[in-house]
Order: sequence, then C-alpha cells, then structure tokens
Amino acid sequence: MRLELGNIRIEDVKFGSKTEVKNHTLYVNKEELITLLSEDERLASVSIELAHPGESIRIMPVKDVIEPRVKVDGPGGLFPGFISKLDQVGSGRTHVLKGTAVVTAGQVVGFQEGIIDMTGPGADYTPFAHTHNIVIVADPVEGLKQHAHEAALRNLGLKAATYIGEAGKNVEPDEIKTYEVLPLFENAAKYPNLPKVVYVYMLQSQGLLHDTYYYGIDVKQMVPTLMYPTEVMDGAIISGNCVSACDKNTTYHHLNSPVIYDLMEKHGKEICFLGCVVTNENVTLGDKQRSSNMVAKLVEFLGADGAIISEEGFGNPDADLIMNCVKVEKKGIKTVLVTDEYAGRDGASQSLADADQLANAVVTAGNANEVIYLPPMEKLIGYAQPADIIAGGFDGSLQPDGSITVEIQAITGATNELGYNKMTARGY
Amino acid sequence: MVKEIERAGIPVVHMCTVVPISLTVGANRIVPTVAIPYPLGNPKLSGEDEKKLRRELVQNALEALKTEVHGQTVFDN
Repeated sequence: MRLELGNIRIEDVKFGSKTEVKNHTLYVNKEELITLLSEDERLASVSIELAHPGESIRIMPVKDVIEPRVKVDGPGGLFPGFISKLDQVGSGRTHVLKGTAVVTAGQVVGFQEGIIDMTGPGADYTPFAHTHNIVIVADPVEGLKQHAHEAALRNLGLKAATYIGEAGKNVEPDEIKTYEVLPLFENAAKYPNLPKVVYVYMLQSQGLLHDTYYYGIDVKQMVPTLMYPTEVMDGAIISGNCVSACDKNTTYHHLNSPVIYDLMEKHGKEICFLGCVVTNENVTLGDKQRSSNMVAKLVEFLGADGAIISEEGFGNPDADLIMNCVKVEKKGIKTVLVTDEYAGRDGASQSLADADQLANAVVTAGNANEVIYLPPMEKLIGYAQPADIIAGGFDGSLQPDGSITVEIQAITGATNELGYNKMTARGY
Repeated sequence: MVKEIERAGIPVVHMCTVVPISLTVGANRIVPTVAIPYPLGNPKLSGEDEKKLRRELVQNALEALKTEVHGQTVFDN
C-alpha cells in the first residue's frame, strides 16, 4: 500500500470571506463553518477563535486536536466510518495543511481534558503551542448526557478539520513524501537482510469516555488486527477518549505518530517494517488475556524479529503493556516499549503499575506527576474553572489572578506515548 | 496496603480485576473480580443475578482467607 502525503506549509491563519489557502496563509470563513457545525442539535452554541504561537492565550478544557487533511486521489476520504464512507484508506494522495490544527474545547465532558498555553512555560510542554490553531468552543444543550456530549464534540472536530482540509485540495504542496509498505511476502523478499519489525499500536478502550475508534468501530469491541502504516495517515484511527491530557493520543497524534513515521523513514534502510498490529486496553482480565495472546500470535505469525509496543494512558493499561511485552518476548522476539511514568511529584515512586524482567528496553516520555506553574494569560479561550478538577489539577490549582499550578498531566500532549513531545532525560 | 497489613500478622485476600498487577505487587491470596469499573458487581446482570454474583465473590474470598497457602495463590475456581 502506497500513500503520497503532500505537505502544504501554512505560516498564518486568518478569518476571510472564503475558506482557502493563498501564499501559505489559510483563510477561514468563520460564518460558514459555524453554520455547518451548528447543524448538530446536541449543541447549544458554537464559536470559533484563532490562537497563534507566541500569543498570550490559554485554551482549556481541550478535548481533541485534529490536523486538517484532504484526500486528493485514491479511494475513500478522511476519517472513514465517521466523516467519510467505509472505504479502505491509506493509498493514493492526501494533502496536509501543515502547521495548523483544529482544537475542540468547551464545557468539560469528563474530568480529563487538557490545557494548551500558547506562550510561557506551559508552551514548552505541548506541541500545539507551535501550531496555528482554529479553536472551536462548543457547549451542549441543557441536560445532554455525557456520552452524547462527547460524541457531539468528537464529530464537531472531525467535521471542522474536514471542512478546513478541503482548502488544500487544489493547492500545490511544498513537499511530497511517499510512504509504502508492500504485502508481507514481497516486503520480506525485498529486504532479506534487514531485521523485520512490527509495531504494536495499543489504543485506549476502557469505556466510560475512554474510547478510540478504528474505521468507526469502538476498539473495545474488536480483537487485535493488522493495519498498513499508511492507513493511520488518512484517519483510520480517531480519538474519542478523555484519558489524562498528557498521554492521550489526540487524533492529531494518530495522524502524525512519530513511531510510524520514524519506522517508515528507516524502512528499507535499517529495518524492514512489516506493518502494525492494532490492539486495545479493555477492562476485564479475560479481554486483556485474549488481546495480548492475539498480539503475540500476530507478531509471531508475521515473522518479526522485533516489535515496538506503545501504550496509551496509564494505570491498568500498564498491565496490557507488560502482558504484550512478556508474551511477545517469550516467542523469542525482542521488544521495545514506549510509555510514560507516574512516579510521584518527586519522581521516587514506582513508574508503572506493573513490571517484568523481560521489559528490559523501555523508552519513557516523562513523569506526568511533575508540577508546573502556569502564569496568567491575557486571554482565555474556554473555561478556567475545571483546572481544579481535571486530572493533574487539585483544589486550589486555579488562583484568583488566573495562574494555575498543576501536574504536567493536565497539559495536552506533555508526555505523549507516541513520542510527539520534546522531553529529554539528561544525566549530570 | 495488602503487604503492610500482612506484615502486621493479619492475612489478607486481595480481590482485584487485574491479577498480574496483584502478583507483581506481592499479594498472597488473590480472588479475581469482574472488571475495573465494577470489580464487585456487573451492571449487565439483573439485580437478582448480580446479588448472587456478589455473594459468590465474597464467599470465595472468605474461603481463600481460611485456606493455608504456600506462596502466591490465585483462587480462580
């Protein structure tokens, strides 16, 4: 399966009378987009604001972040099962409005939405301080149940990103990158001397607003399956989860997963990338056992020499991570785990809820319990009050001057377990 | 908590859903439960069936408490 990604560099976003891209500036017709998004009867109000890198703006509570993309050539469209019909995606050509993001915010759905500061110390912890953001604040009609509220906001973000992405359809990209993985036997035959690597892509599926969707299916209802790496680039996986902001994979993260892009970069040079095993993180032991058994079976079945396994979230999914690791290792296949840590504010506690001696190669995305002071911003998009109740916050997090003291857990993408962050550990 | 109470000489049964974590932290008597959001119940069952399930889980735990163990034991009968 072969996909061309055409990256269109966007250097500024402005409102305009027509939604279009001209000379690296994206113009958004605000009224047209609000009219489109207001069609949802579950929403009482929709407003749109822009937030640029370096501005004194705080956005919270943030639900999801989505990169605008558009299918230019090939079957299907973006976000199959939600926005587009259920065609097979991941081939042909897709254009990307690079440097922009749709951010959905509004009244808190659960208690695990995040904060994005466009400047100041918080900006160092979120990649979305460095994108030109089209922020959509939507509030639900009175009495709307939480799950319907979540579904409405999820759909709103995908719809907005699709509408904006269309502006890139007839624009000549600044660069075109080609990603291709061949069917298994052809792939292995083409690179007989390179180690064969599989990516085990763990998706949050604990239910109760902790859900992820694959081609429209709630992944807690599926068994592990195989995916070409390019499928994810067209939105085959989308986020619906309210897991702690620091280590949930927003839809933007899925579209831009560094694990997949880096493996593709090394494919045919250092490794032979066989593809992805997509799996879940369910809440019963039986489900965890079934899924981890199938992960290990599929990795072996593919003939892998090694596997990269990434976790989403923390706590009981640590058990899924370790079960996947141990079962794959016991088949004689090496693993590297990508996770983050909840090691207490001083970093001295055990980092994961589970452990095993076979988990001997682990990449950490940082300690989510570290505390940070976020000074007041000149402008707030959304609501500040949830600071005291979102995960990472505590009673007294929000001060009268507008400053917030929280664990970095509350910052969107701070310890992202796909590695889409900049945190580094250095020895002194 | 399980380990500290046992250190004081009082036997403990750890009722939990994710048995591997319980094994990792060192519980000696482990009774598997239903699911993480509802360890000792099941909203999919009728009230009557759920009460039966809960009683069985507690009885299983009491049996485990009475049973002599030599090392970590999972009571998953």
